[in-house]
Amino acid sequence: MTAEGAEIIRAAGLGKVYRSGALEVQALGGVDFAARAGEFVVILGPSGSGKSTFLNILGGLDTASSGHVWFRDAELTAMSERGLTLYRRDHVGFVFQFYNLVPSLTALENVALVTEIARDPMPPAEALELVGLGPRRGHFPAQLSGGEQQRVAIARAIAKRPELLFCDEPTGALDSVTGVRVLEALEGVNRATGATTLVITHNAAIREIADRSLRFADGRIVEEIANSTRKAPAEVSW
Amino acid sequence: MVIPPLRRKVLRDLRRLWAQALAIAAVLAAGVATMILGTGAHDALSQTRDRYYEQNRFADVFADLTRAPLALLPEAAAIDGVLAAEARIVRLGRPELPGQSAPAAMMLVSLPAAEGLNQLHLRRGRLPDPQSDRELALSESFAAAHQLGPGSVLAVVLDGRRLDFTVTGTALSPEYIYALGPGEMMPDPSRFGIAWLPRAPLAAAADMEGAFDSLVLKLAPGASETRVIAALDGLLARYGGTGAIGRADQMSHAFLDAELRQLGAMARVLPPIFLAVAAMLVNMTMSRLIALEREQIGLLKALGYSRRAIAGHYMEFVLAIALAGILMGFAAGAWLGAGMARLYAEFFSFPFLVFTRDPQIYALAALIALAAAAAGALRAVRAVAALPPAVAMAPPAPPAYRQRPGWLATLLPMRQSLRMVARHLLHWPLRTASGILGVAMATAILIASLWTFGSVEQMIDVTFHRGERQDVRLSFATAQGPGALDDVRHLPGVMAAEPFRSLPARISAGPRAKRISIEGRPAEPRLSRVLSPDLRPMTMPGTGLILSEALAEALQVRPGEEVTVAFLDGRRRTVQLPVSGLSVGYVGLGAAMEITALNRAAGEGARLSGAVLQLDPAGQEAFFAAARAAPETGLLSVTSLALARFRATLAENLAVMISVYVGLAATIAAGVVYNLARIALSEQGRELASLRVLGFTRAEVAAMLHAELAIVVLAAQPLGWAIGHAMARAMAAAFASDLYRVPFVIGREVYATASLAVCAAALLSALALRRRIARLDIIGVLKTRE
Repeated sequence: MTAEGAEIIRAAGLGKVYRSGALEVQALGGVDFAARAGEFVVILGPSGSGKSTFLNILGGLDTASSGHVWFRDAELTAMSERGLTLYRRDHVGFVFQFYNLVPSLTALENVALVTEIARDPMPPAEALELVGLGPRRGHFPAQLSGGEQQRVAIARAIAKRPELLFCDEPTGALDSVTGVRVLEALEGVNRATGATTLVITHNAAIREIADRSLRFADGRIVEEIANSTRKAPAEVSW
Repeated sequence: MVIPPLRRKVLRDLRRLWAQALAIAAVLAAGVATMILGTGAHDALSQTRDRYYEQNRFADVFADLTRAPLALLPEAAAIDGVLAAEARIVRLGRPELPGQSAPAAMMLVSLPAAEGLNQLHLRRGRLPDPQSDRELALSESFAAAHQLGPGSVLAVVLDGRRLDFTVTGTALSPEYIYALGPGEMMPDPSRFGIAWLPRAPLAAAADMEGAFDSLVLKLAPGASETRVIAALDGLLARYGGTGAIGRADQMSHAFLDAELRQLGAMARVLPPIFLAVAAMLVNMTMSRLIALEREQIGLLKALGYSRRAIAGHYMEFVLAIALAGILMGFAAGAWLGAGMARLYAEFFSFPFLVFTRDPQIYALAALIALAAAAAGALRAVRAVAALPPAVAMAPPAPPAYRQRPGWLATLLPMRQSLRMVARHLLHWPLRTASGILGVAMATAILIASLWTFGSVEQMIDVTFHRGERQDVRLSFATAQGPGALDDVRHLPGVMAAEPFRSLPARISAGPRAKRISIEGRPAEPRLSRVLSPDLRPMTMPGTGLILSEALAEALQVRPGEEVTVAFLDGRRRTVQLPVSGLSVGYVGLGAAMEITALNRAAGEGARLSGAVLQLDPAGQEAFFAAARAAPETGLLSVTSLALARFRATLAENLAVMISVYVGLAATIAAGVVYNLARIALSEQGRELASLRVLGFTRAEVAAMLHAELAIVVLAAQPLGWAIGHAMARAMAAAFASDLYRVPFVIGREVYATASLAVCAAALLSALALRRRIARLDIIGVLKTRE
């Protein structure tokens, strides 16, 4: 899939201020951003640079203090809490550093948890096949390795056929070999489903597998690099 | 003053977990309160009674007779084991109460001698002058009901003679603490009172000069009551003695005994339930708290805090909760105790009420509550002490769900969210079971109190609507010949009349004997009917007796067997009679026969003791006026008045009891459900927040938590019904006495009401979590490992 699709998500002048008593911390200061359908974007930056806040607001998990975000024609920044819930439910897949699987459900059931409430999901087994975990479908999280758990989380995120896939440090808790397998899964899913994928990472090397990479510092995008070709995750040196 | 850091942590933990701590404290408080109330009220009542009996020289043996010369008294006093004997005149008269059409009765009792038995306790005014023949003292409640006091004038009709008296004062007697009028089911001070007057005028009016018709004895400590009664009965047989009784059969004493037995049952049953549930809650909460603070515990140990210090820290937390519960329980117990004392004061005529705040009871209750809380905490705190610091500092292994996957799914196709709920419940079977048992106890407690409503309705329906269907029961002062029935029939307002004969008798089978009244009725009575256990009216057999189930049980006889009946009146014959059938009856012990068969068995001609009547509603006033004027009339019992009083008294008592029980049950239900919910939220907060991220709405996430609670609450209901049914049955058995027995009927509405009330309490406490669910930190959970 190339980066030729229509613009699917757009942010303009996005700002976020956290208030704690008299203290104000500016997490985001006027970020402009847009992504096209099917694009694979890597977001880099040091801790506290605002990248997670940015992703959370785009994902409808947090609200902006200023600026606007549009998902297609719908303005997220004008939505109610319930509207944001439905946005997440119908259009967004999330993958997190600590997987956040439900320990009492098997791999397949964790995926089914989401497909049951989605509008047009793929069969849970098919999502697990996409991440190479078909044979492990009956295992509980406690019976899976970290990498396997993260791939279940990816399968759970994409099983609803989301337009957007947001990943916050998906390889942060994994060693390099496992990390590559997770990235391969993400990359494969991006190509297979055409979901616009935004991945936060500390690992600058990962940028090479993306269409485009952004670097955050002090709540702003300070660098943007477009790759003419995407490397395969296995080619990336960690 | 410097507060040590661990102590400070206890205080902060308490502030943070105040709602959970309060829920536990409330359940514990209910245990403490019921313990104080049950034991306290029981002790108060029995101590009050004992002291009152002691101070006023309450007699041990009571005997009624027709008439014996006073010269017989030294013989009675000389019976081995008798300390003192007092001869009295006791007669039933009728007070003339202008402005009250409802018939009333008055027990006229000769004043006890200066150092005699059953001394009066003067409340107002003075006792009558022994030399006066126109003075009397009234029982306090009757005087109050009619606004009579020292100086008032009261006319009493005795054996057809009208006597005018001046009231000199009001008094109480240990003999009439529970003053139940003849033929009544509940005390009604407006229609029954006691008057004490000097012997001479009463003897003159009752034709008892130089004689007595009632004898009371005080026994020496250790004397055999049975032997004294036997000797006394032998002595009095010639004088129309109707069989002496001990205190156990004395009306007022027996009713107090029944009350004491109920209180004792309550003090035994309720507190253990509350304490057990509280211990369970402490265990649940502490286990979770310690799981959450595992890393802190490891850190404290690594810093050099001893096991004892850390275990002590968590114990302090539990004991602080226990202390709060104990103080709340003290307050509630004292408050309920005062309320109970007020009820007693209304119901029983005591000159004083010993409701000492016995520090021993409070100390014992506190100790038991502390022990229950500590027992609940023990397992969790021991686990803390045992944890090596290095292990403790590492996060606990995530709950390992490793069952063979899908085994549940093969049983039930269900949504994943419901599957989560089911697996979470099954993963902590002990906790789930504790929760179910706790909620079941709440339902059981409600059933054990609510069933009494249906039971009372059954009593009323059977007794008044199916059995005693007469409007009025007219008892003659003395038995009359058959012509008296015609006289009664011709009284104004009488539409139908049926005769009855009532004969005192001692009925026995082998070593078992009871003193009762045998009622003779027409073969097919239409008004006052005897009902079979399946509530069909019975035909009076030609020769045999029909015994109430209670009497048959007491004598251990069955239909077809014979009993020995010794009549205690008239010719005092002793005969063998077959038991022809059993009847249902809730008040007293009953035996019935066909009236002519009864008279024949007793060796008497056609005699009747009175008649039951059906009245023309329009003619009631005229009837009462005429009946009062008729010289034969001894006592008029009006069914509607007895029923109204019965209902009013029970309604009042039951309302108090039920509101206390509902409060207790709600405390348990809310306490259990709230703690379960908080623990579930704490354990699954991370998962639930993750679900919110995945697009589950607040309502969907709340529904999962509520589903878990709902399963516990619903699963608890059948268990609660079973336990409640057993408790109610045990209560019915515990309440049964010779005075009354409570029919054991539980309708479906009792189960439904109890379950609804418990579900409502559970729902309210689950709703208290709504804000916490709304506040789930959906960003925080993504950035942290549990």
